[in-house]
Amino acid sequence: MIALNSGTKNNDSMSSKDTLNKQKNQSYWATVGRQFRQKKTAMVSFYITLFLAFVAVTAPFLANEKPIFCKYEGKMYFPVVKQIGVDLGIGQFPKELLNVKWKDLNYDFAVWPLIPYLPLNQDEKNSKSVSPLAKQDVESTYWTHWFGTDELGRDVLSGMIHGTKTAFTVGIVSMFIASVIGIFFGSLAGFFGDTNLKMSRIRMWLNLLFFFFALFYAFGVRSYMLSDSLANGFASFLGQFLLSLVIFGAIIGLANLMAMPLKKIPFLAEQVAFPVDMLISRSMEVLVSIPTFFLILLVLAVIKKPNIYVIMVIIGFTSWTGIARYIRAELLRIRSLEYIEAAKALGYSNWRTMVKHAIPNALAPVLIAIAFGIASAILIESSLSFLGFGSGEDVTWGGLLNAARSAPKAWWLAIFPGFAIFITVTIFNLIGEGLTDAMDPRLRK
Amino acid sequence: MAKYILKRILFFIPTIFVISILTFVLMSSAPGDPAELMLNKASSGDSGQASDKLAGDKAYREVRKKLGLDLPMFYFSIGSISEPDTLYKIGKVDHRKNLGRLIDMYGNWPQIEAYYHALSEMELAFLDLPKDSATTAPLITLRSAVTDLFTNYKESVIQSKFGDIKDRLTMYPQLASAMPQYEKVVSAYYEVTVNPTTWKNYVPTVHMNFSHNQYHRWLFGDAPWFGKSDDPTLTGGFIRGDFGISYFAKRPVGSIVWDSIGYTMTISLVSILITYLISIPLGVFSAINKDTLVDQGLTTGLFILYSLPSFWIATMMIIFLGGGDYLDLFPPTGVADVEDDDPFFYRFGAQAYHLALPLICWTYGSFAYLSRQMRGGMLSVLRQDFIRTARSKGLSNNSVIWKHAFRNSLFPVITIFSSVFPAMIGGSIILEFLFSIPGMGKVSLEAVFRRDYPVVLTVTMFSAILTLVGYLVSDILYAVVDPRITYGKK
Repeated sequence: MIALNSGTKNNDSMSSKDTLNKQKNQSYWATVGRQFRQKKTAMVSFYITLFLAFVAVTAPFLANEKPIFCKYEGKMYFPVVKQIGVDLGIGQFPKELLNVKWKDLNYDFAVWPLIPYLPLNQDEKNSKSVSPLAKQDVESTYWTHWFGTDELGRDVLSGMIHGTKTAFTVGIVSMFIASVIGIFFGSLAGFFGDTNLKMSRIRMWLNLLFFFFALFYAFGVRSYMLSDSLANGFASFLGQFLLSLVIFGAIIGLANLMAMPLKKIPFLAEQVAFPVDMLISRSMEVLVSIPTFFLILLVLAVIKKPNIYVIMVIIGFTSWTGIARYIRAELLRIRSLEYIEAAKALGYSNWRTMVKHAIPNALAPVLIAIAFGIASAILIESSLSFLGFGSGEDVTWGGLLNAARSAPKAWWLAIFPGFAIFITVTIFNLIGEGLTDAMDPRLRK
Repeated sequence: MAKYILKRILFFIPTIFVISILTFVLMSSAPGDPAELMLNKASSGDSGQASDKLAGDKAYREVRKKLGLDLPMFYFSIGSISEPDTLYKIGKVDHRKNLGRLIDMYGNWPQIEAYYHALSEMELAFLDLPKDSATTAPLITLRSAVTDLFTNYKESVIQSKFGDIKDRLTMYPQLASAMPQYEKVVSAYYEVTVNPTTWKNYVPTVHMNFSHNQYHRWLFGDAPWFGKSDDPTLTGGFIRGDFGISYFAKRPVGSIVWDSIGYTMTISLVSILITYLISIPLGVFSAINKDTLVDQGLTTGLFILYSLPSFWIATMMIIFLGGGDYLDLFPPTGVADVEDDDPFFYRFGAQAYHLALPLICWTYGSFAYLSRQMRGGMLSVLRQDFIRTARSKGLSNNSVIWKHAFRNSLFPVITIFSSVFPAMIGGSIILEFLFSIPGMGKVSLEAVFRRDYPVVLTVTMFSAILTLVGYLVSDILYAVVDPRITYGKK
């Protein structure tokens, strides 16, 4: 979405501040933006997305058992902000506020969130699935469970609000992973094809040989370190994983360095093509042959304790083929355009031409794939939590809906979370649809 | 055309091969010990004499041999020179994992091996210690300490267990007979810790196992190809139709899959039939009446149907229509409880009644999707020049639409056909689970939950093969619909 709004800025750098263009902005992105804005459903979906994103970001402030801001025993506190800090490992609650019942403290004054419940905390007085329409055992209207409670007395509305956060995180993180992988492999396959990625014979040999060494040193030797860090939390795993990537890159770099002096020998210096398109297309075919949902179940079966982050990563790693296919097709078209030839004639390297000139013009269809991808990622994640995968500590819409199966009387458990999934999936599909139409030259007015 | 099909089928082979390797490796790295699942018991010998323990170990080894787990994983293995190429022979999975950890920490396999043997001897010695009312408590501590030593690699834990054992052995004189074995363990562990050769972990090496490996046995089998063999531990392998034995049901995977595939096939085929019968005319109708009120209503309705998560609708249908606390219109399960000797029409009626809700959930999504595709395809064809030409020739509206446009708008519909086969397995997992239909989806989901890997592996292979067949069928259909497409040389 950012790309749409900053469309004009992008364009300026490309067309070097042409005065004509400024008057009548006809760049590609501006046109797409205008077409998109003309589609009412797409725009409405876009605004709903913004609203839901706002709910997701401010979830801890909207539904929390702690006050947002309070004055207690003469001191000012921001307990919600503090809690976020504590969760991240920065700072600690002062002693007098550790393990307290926030609700019962004697505040000088306090600003409370809209919903005074956390999704996982149980309200003993309203357990056993209390309907939103039934009489609830609460102190005042403010404490009402507007969407009812579940079997354990957990507030459903609070779960819905925090579930928005989960759903959006899943959609964005998994599609980020998928885009990075998809754009990388898709553009390699599309831009170079089978014949254009040429390198000296020695460089190819050394790269292939060192690839295995790199795998061995970066991931084989460090496998225990990586798996241990996963138990310590996602952040430490990310650190270890990045370190592995650095080692991997260094070893591959070493191979290329070693190739340089050896290139003096004529036989080793001969240029050979690396069939990158064939390799990537075949691998994609393998991945696509296993139904995505089943593939994800398969990977989940292997992991001891899958949590929401593991699920995000798995969705990302299994759904990049769509994006890769889009960008491959675009680059196949673009690479034969004249401006690419011009770039080559100017002596730019293949890599520079690809990254700076070809890929930016191929990203438009990727946006469509990402919009649809977010919808399907959210759908897959909620199906998985609905089936009971995941740790149970993550609040998800699918998990809430799952509770409806064991409490068939509780219609509010079935309707609200399911409706949230439906709406979110629909708006992302509508945005994808709007983008498709906006980018289709045949439909341009 | 025949040449093209043959070429495509030949291309299947490497793809299937890679998929089989991927899934096999994935399943093999899964947690849990298959042999123990088969034996249905915990690993530690928690009672009895050394002879019982030895008998238990023998049974365990036999199961491992039967499942082919006593073989190395693959044709070759890549590791460091500190890892012995015989590590796979260590039976217990948790023991093997722990040895791997020790190798990672110290890198001196000869010393670690000596320590492992000393531990095993100590375990046997503990089993032969005299049992009476006074020694029950310390013996329990001793045995749990041994179990912990087999599965721990951190020095602090190991030393504290050593402390536990030593305390018990010195405190109770009747247990002192196991002292020499204990001292041997301690000195063996000392040897491990003082002579680390961790540099060996950084030297890669390749071990060749040739065809003597688990993967080869699973795919090709180890029974002779010609003639019969009486050895029950031999298997025919996947390509000869021997899919192994389910860890959970303890019967051949082939029969499990065979029993379940009928349900899934029936439901999928009926659902596909309904989908195509309704959605193609609906899509065409909607495209012809583009931008009218009817079209707008249809488009919106179809879009909503398309975005409705089927597991939500299924849950709601079961809750609100399935005879719970609300309406009692339909049964909540998808399979009728009928006897074989009931009259046919009764059986058919009962089954159809039970399948009503599942079929709706199965169908509405693909029906909405297909109608939308059909409408889009028809619209883009109707914009083209040859349609205008046909109209200007004075052809009737019906003739233009059905003879000229319809055939050309079938492409998107064909694309979807390629996903029909894999959808038989993948698409039905949640719905079969919700409506308790014992089809492929439910079987595979349960197999994943129970970590019943032979079943998972078989289902994966089947769905991959079906997907590839689906792609081939849709490619051939393309050529049938569009004579311009010729696969192969012109």
